[in-house]
Amino acid sequence: MSDVYVVGIGMTKFGKHPDRTVVDLGSEAVREAIRDAEVDPRRIEAAYCGHVFQGMVAGQRVLAQTGLAGIPLTNVEDACSSGAVAIREAALAIRAGEHDVVLAFGMEHLTGRFRGALTPAEDDLEAAVGLTMPAIYAMRARRHMEEFGTTRRQLALVSVKNKRNASLNPLSQFQTPVSVEEVLASRPIAEPLCLYDCSPVSDGAAAVVLCSARWLRQLTRSQRPIRLAAAALRSGEVESGLPSMAFEPLTRRTAEAAYEQAGLGPEEIDLAEVHDCFSIAEVLRVEGLGLFPVGEYPDRLERGEADIGGRLPINPSGGLLGKGHPLGATGVAQVVEVVRQLRGQAGPRQVAGARVGLAHCRGGKAAGVEGAACTVNILAA
Amino acid sequence: MVEVTETGRSGVVPVHPDVFAGELEGEPQLVGSRCRQCGARFFPRRGVCARCLSAEVEVVPLGRVGTLHTYTVVYQSTPEFPTPYILAYVDLPEGVRLLAPLAGVPVDQVRIGMPLRLQVEPLRTDAAGRTVLGYRLYAHGGGA
Repeated sequence: MSDVYVVGIGMTKFGKHPDRTVVDLGSEAVREAIRDAEVDPRRIEAAYCGHVFQGMVAGQRVLAQTGLAGIPLTNVEDACSSGAVAIREAALAIRAGEHDVVLAFGMEHLTGRFRGALTPAEDDLEAAVGLTMPAIYAMRARRHMEEFGTTRRQLALVSVKNKRNASLNPLSQFQTPVSVEEVLASRPIAEPLCLYDCSPVSDGAAAVVLCSARWLRQLTRSQRPIRLAAAALRSGEVESGLPSMAFEPLTRRTAEAAYEQAGLGPEEIDLAEVHDCFSIAEVLRVEGLGLFPVGEYPDRLERGEADIGGRLPINPSGGLLGKGHPLGATGVAQVVEVVRQLRGQAGPRQVAGARVGLAHCRGGKAAGVEGAACTVNILAA
Repeated sequence: MVEVTETGRSGVVPVHPDVFAGELEGEPQLVGSRCRQCGARFFPRRGVCARCLSAEVEVVPLGRVGTLHTYTVVYQSTPEFPTPYILAYVDLPEGVRLLAPLAGVPVDQVRIGMPLRLQVEPLRTDAAGRTVLGYRLYAHGGGA
């Protein structure tokens, strides 16, 4: 099996783009990734596109705008993990020896379709009794508070940190830091979560070019190639009995698979982009990933361990809370950030000496299932 | 004039096809499933046991009294759910957890661990004018 390398990255600004189409956004990210990879577009052999709500054959519409039409393209839907799954599919195609140079991208124009809270699929039992995505995370937040003594103020600190990091990222939706007081004073969405505990409705796209070791050796590049050391995917188990709502076995299982693939453990991770769709979500993710002990993240966050410059920076890009969350683009944008960090190109938010980075996505909800899709990608300089 | 509706004779639809057994016009029974091989219980019900993969899974009635596991007050939702409303997960003695609206309890009196009672009742009217039959949670014993 060939090693897989990320040799090109591209990303649009995340935010509200009322005057642009999803194809326009996707094309911008794809063109930038190809330029960054210094690859002739005719060398790209296949493409994978992650999106959730962009309609039929959205990926092919982008190919038609970027001079790539004709190659095999697979559209991938796995809720918020869609983009990360597109990357994994691209990596599998390379490892299998089928292709040497593959494009993976993700995109979403969400502001044209949604306002406010997303909900599970319409025919889901829990959606039918009024469940929203903020509501499920609010109920998990209350359990984390109950079981570990986590405070409302500590949850707010997740948003404060990520919006501060976002203010250092020119591609972020939010460019202004917020205070704990501002988070707590923002309007309630699902108690105990307020507006600033929730990731925004966003438009945007991100893309990466992946290649095999064989192809990498044929070229001299100006950018340092970053190895994709693991690309793990799991789906949620059916729950029986009364499982904890303050811990994520799905994230733990996916992480264990990724650590095994990469041949390293959580103590070797220098930075992580995790799926902070809500403030409490970052807590559940880093504890599930084994990056912080279960129940201890809120205290350690308060002590600055997750800050840029701290022991283990979490979401230096600004995360979903600060950078924005255009569903299909999110998992690809996380990898774009990790690659930037490992190349040493993250500017004022650079994590000093970063050599190994992790990206975690978790998407979807169905009644009686712990979660739908979970991905962990690990990259190494 | 003959009145024609999509609903046929009933005019009552369950909130989800998997949750009730029996006639909707009578007193429908809230159900889950239990694996005859390993005893695992599920809600909503499953055709195959997710734990041991046995297909010998039977539909079993669920009790009506349990304890509150966690809750939230929803302030932003879809148009068919007027806000604010309380949602809660209740743990039933059969070892399953289910989500339902909580009614009749002031928010400041809602507590993790409080006893709750499930009541089968209409939740709303759907776009076709049919009664959507579901269930709500109420405080149980000594509560509001």
